[in-house]
Amino acid sequence: MEYAIRTENLVKRYSNNFTALGGVSLRIKKGEVVGYVGPNGAGKTTTIKILTGLSRPSSGHAYVNGVDVMARPREALRTIGALIEVPGVYDYLTPHEMLTYFGRVYRMSSGEIDRRIKESLELVKLSDWEHKRMGTFSTGMLRRLTIAKAILHKPDNLILDEPVLGLDPEGIRDVRELIRHFRNEGMTVFLSSHLLAEVAEVCNTVIFLNKGKVVSSDSIENIGRSIEQRVVNVKFLRPLSAEETQKLRAIELVRNVEVEDGVARLWYDGKPESSAKILRLLVSSNFDVVSYNVESAGLEDYYVSVMGDGKKGN
Amino acid sequence: MEASGISLRNDVFETYLSVKFELLKHLKRRRLLIIAALAIIVPLIFYVRVPDTASQFADEVLTFANLLIVVSAAMFAGDAVCSEFERKTNLLLFPTPQRRGTIFAGKYLAAVIATFVVVVLYYIVLTLQTAQLFGWGAIPGELAKSFLVAMIYSLAAVSVVYFFSAALKRSISSTIVGFLSLIMVLPVISFILQRVNQEPWFIITYSAGLITNVLGVSGNPLFGPGNGQSSLTEFMPKFGVGIAVMIAYAVVFLVSGMMIASRRED
Repeated sequence: MEYAIRTENLVKRYSNNFTALGGVSLRIKKGEVVGYVGPNGAGKTTTIKILTGLSRPSSGHAYVNGVDVMARPREALRTIGALIEVPGVYDYLTPHEMLTYFGRVYRMSSGEIDRRIKESLELVKLSDWEHKRMGTFSTGMLRRLTIAKAILHKPDNLILDEPVLGLDPEGIRDVRELIRHFRNEGMTVFLSSHLLAEVAEVCNTVIFLNKGKVVSSDSIENIGRSIEQRVVNVKFLRPLSAEETQKLRAIELVRNVEVEDGVARLWYDGKPESSAKILRLLVSSNFDVVSYNVESAGLEDYYVSVMGDGKKGN
Repeated sequence: MEASGISLRNDVFETYLSVKFELLKHLKRRRLLIIAALAIIVPLIFYVRVPDTASQFADEVLTFANLLIVVSAAMFAGDAVCSEFERKTNLLLFPTPQRRGTIFAGKYLAAVIATFVVVVLYYIVLTLQTAQLFGWGAIPGELAKSFLVAMIYSLAAVSVVYFFSAALKRSISSTIVGFLSLIMVLPVISFILQRVNQEPWFIITYSAGLITNVLGVSGNPLFGPGNGQSSLTEFMPKFGVGIAVMIAYAVVFLVSGMMIASRRED
């Protein structure tokens, strides 16, 4: 199977003996939106720099669409659009001038360059700024402009390194919308971030990295399942009487009950069929159930649990 | 064979794109405009006192050529490489389908072209002035030779500054170190060597003296040890050796600079 992005045992060791990557192997399928999560210094940006030809690995290989980035960089990088860290821009140029140069680098025709510049700037809401000097742009505008540069040549794969870093809430929302748009377009998106909410919002899969090693990797769905607590929250139409609370405790599958006003937390064995049976029993016992949901821990809890393991491992 | 042909075509095209982009940047930053204006205005200052012959006039005007070349090299090549890393524009520029070597080659060539433009302008103004003051027939033939030396010196000066731009971290440092090396450090070493009766033939700024020396008006009258008497030793750069030294500097500093730049990571 040809993966959109694949790395084989990537190692990056610096001259001061610091190991930024200790053998990272990734498999990212075409059309996937993958979150690459880890604390600062975990090796996320190093991986991305190797994938985009900015840095050479000490050993191992990185492939984009099956093409070795180190051996055939021109071919590999043609299908990539990248936003890495917070890139600088040429303050004295206009977006049109800068993007025209990059369009030529991607061997686009003049007509295609003009068309794509307009489309890309429109997508990032910078159409009115096409011929204004970039030195006057705000941080959010610059970030959107660099995203426009990344998608100018309609790449198959988009690599985004901390794309919302330093942005205000409006900027974060704009970037999130853009990522959703790319996902809907069928683009493969590899998104590095330390903001879990960001990743949970837009990604299908999450890879957790700590101290240069992958400590966990799974789909958002599976992670969601694995972090489900063995508790259901039930909201009733009215506050429960002592007798009703007693009835709850008497339900066979319920191990413990905590009641506060019209809301109860019921502990059970965590099996989905048990959860369904408890709901049936509640309804058949004439409880007025307004809502019923399995309590779930956040991605943060999962993150803390896997990173904790990673720390032990190191 | 075919693959290497395609690769060469790609290299040439990418270098061309990089040269164009760099020249656009020099224009938009107005550096090219400012130094070109200097190249046009400075020769006009020499109208203040016009000497008797065309050769003497050319010799006087060309005393400034050396400084102009060094200033141009510092302005156009001083931040060519390090500014990309310092301002993080490398994060935009490098993850694209082009060899890093072609980007840096383009930067070097753009700096050379911009410096050539300045030198050409300077010589055009000088030629027009000489013709206006002494007539077209009085223009010394050696001026062409001087122009050739100035072009080769431009190439070498840009290489030296470019090397510092690749080796140092900050644009301001590389520009100042490059500028001072050519305007002060190397001339001082050259002067000291001559004081101990050694010809500094291997120092590029000594060779640059050919820009005016070829006119045959004034030498490079630097004196050797004289123990208070009149035993003075005059050194004059030899044309062939001077040209060879400049070319050697151009090649060695360019190749070293390119190697450092291509291997450089954040």
